[in-house]
Amino acid sequence: MRIYLGLLESSAPNQTRIFVAVDTKLIDLPLAYAGYLSLSGDRSTAYERASFYFPETISAFVVRGEQSLQALEEVVSYVHKIGGDDLRGPAGEKVAYDLAEVRVLPPLQNPEKSFVIGFSDRSRLEAVPRAEIPTGFYKLPQTFVTSGKPVIWPKFSAEVDADACLALVIGKGGKRIDAARAWDHIAGVTLLIDITARDINRREGLTTNNLLGKNFPSSTCLGPCILLKPTRAELEALEVELAMDGSIKQQFALRDCVFTIEQMIARWSILGIKPGDFLAIGASMAIQDNRLQNPVPLKIGSNLRCSSPAIGELSHQVVSGGGQRR
Amino acid sequence: MVDLHTAYASHLREVEANPSALERAQVTLGRDMVEFLKRGDKALEAARKALAYASGNPSGGAGAILDPKEIRLMSPVPRPGALVSAGKNFSDHVAEMASKKGPSSPVAFLKLPGTVIGPEDDIPYPPEVKNLDYEVELAIIIGKACIDVSQDDAFDYIAGYAAFNDISARDIIRSENKTGIHLMGKSFPGFAPMGPYLVTADEIPDPQNLKLKLSVNGETRQDSNLSYMIFKIREMIAYWSQMGLNPGDVLTTGTPRGVAAGRKPDQPPWWLKPGDLVEAEVEKVGRLHNRIVAE
Repeated sequence: MRIYLGLLESSAPNQTRIFVAVDTKLIDLPLAYAGYLSLSGDRSTAYERASFYFPETISAFVVRGEQSLQALEEVVSYVHKIGGDDLRGPAGEKVAYDLAEVRVLPPLQNPEKSFVIGFSDRSRLEAVPRAEIPTGFYKLPQTFVTSGKPVIWPKFSAEVDADACLALVIGKGGKRIDAARAWDHIAGVTLLIDITARDINRREGLTTNNLLGKNFPSSTCLGPCILLKPTRAELEALEVELAMDGSIKQQFALRDCVFTIEQMIARWSILGIKPGDFLAIGASMAIQDNRLQNPVPLKIGSNLRCSSPAIGELSHQVVSGGGQRR
Repeated sequence: MVDLHTAYASHLREVEANPSALERAQVTLGRDMVEFLKRGDKALEAARKALAYASGNPSGGAGAILDPKEIRLMSPVPRPGALVSAGKNFSDHVAEMASKKGPSSPVAFLKLPGTVIGPEDDIPYPPEVKNLDYEVELAIIIGKACIDVSQDDAFDYIAGYAAFNDISARDIIRSENKTGIHLMGKSFPGFAPMGPYLVTADEIPDPQNLKLKLSVNGETRQDSNLSYMIFKIREMIAYWSQMGLNPGDVLTTGTPRGVAAGRKPDQPPWWLKPGDLVEAEVEKVGRLHNRIVAE
């Protein structure tokens, strides 16, 4: 199932809501569940009970675990039975929306750990055995944007590129998680485009840093939704592609990546991981024709599209951030 | 110490006859430091009124004045939006780490915001780490959102300062640097003691000339001055504002010479160990004392 985070026109700026996609509609989960609960009497507490199972953020939702997943199953089968248009909240509220009616937000807003697995210096890769540690870097939550928002070319850079990634979303927290139990901690997966100011990144790499080259406004495209609880086989087979102006530039699946889910979780859970954190891995960590794929150089004005059929797509226009300053 | 919310509420109630003093105080001052900073001059003005009220009513103030012993200090910014820590930014430190020369533009990395702890909190010693090190630094707390600011305007965006200790796992960093960047080695839980409080910018007219000192179990190990910074505070703010900075973001200056990884001669190799008391101090700002404890 695909879960979205969004705002409705009627809601206050911080009143985010979670939605589930059913056919072509987005279903307002707390209201739909309240409607479902009020069918079996007790209308007075239906809203409160529903908002317990479907809180304001996806991170809080995954914390609820099995209980909320079960409530989600109930809502979805109820929606299928009733049909989207006739579905209402307890007081007749609208529950089913077209995608265009919801202001979709990055599905994760403020994770403590938002890491992308990657090497800073790809030229050294030949010397690295396959099982070397999955080093990574941190993407600041303030850099997140979701589908439809422009990617703004930073004026401090002359060379910007993109790398399509899959972000594994943590559902169950833990510390120093044993590789054999890694899979139990995954709640779902979403798409991420890691935007890099490559000239800056190269310079920062000389001192084994990368900060400005990876963290500027709109340098992390995330979403559009969380694909909840895919099976292991489904997850590893998810094909992700990145296209620029309609032509495909990158294609990969998790099974092509040089690190496994177990390696990533075992390594980074040393620091402790929490529900709503994510670990992402991308095409540049995936082998194709015996070598790692390259990031895709961007041009101002082009359209960037990252997609995977079971998840959806991120679509972004690359726009100028103003004149080169230096 | 003055509890700002209580003192300001008393001021509003008794001096300004405001019937909803408590709510008003909360709104004006904000609930935490980042909210306080976002409210800017209005919150600072309220804080000044609260202080004036408390000093005019030393015995009363309805619980507004507290003995510091009654308070467990947290870090003034317990969870920054971004924690930007400079590296290779002191000429004496660059020399001791055997780098050939300083970098041509500011160098920094992100520490995870969740690593911040208070001025008296313990630093957990992770079992994965063999070479644990300290780095005394000045933390610069951003007060206003900014992007692309000039060096001349940089100081307008500083809310205040705190002492900072950039705890570092040298062995983990070395292994990360082989193929990646240092992230884990700088970001185990508790690797960023900060405090003991935020000293507002108006109290420190020349932050570029403050002594930095660090001792372990009473023995001085770092003793330098912020004047040795390669990229000065105003250059750092101008440079890092390119990524966009927000109230509650924190920049740290980098550390001077004397870190365990660089000190000579230290025979046999010397590193922090469980039980050590690390005290990091910045002149006019304050001192942190944190004990290393086995995790």
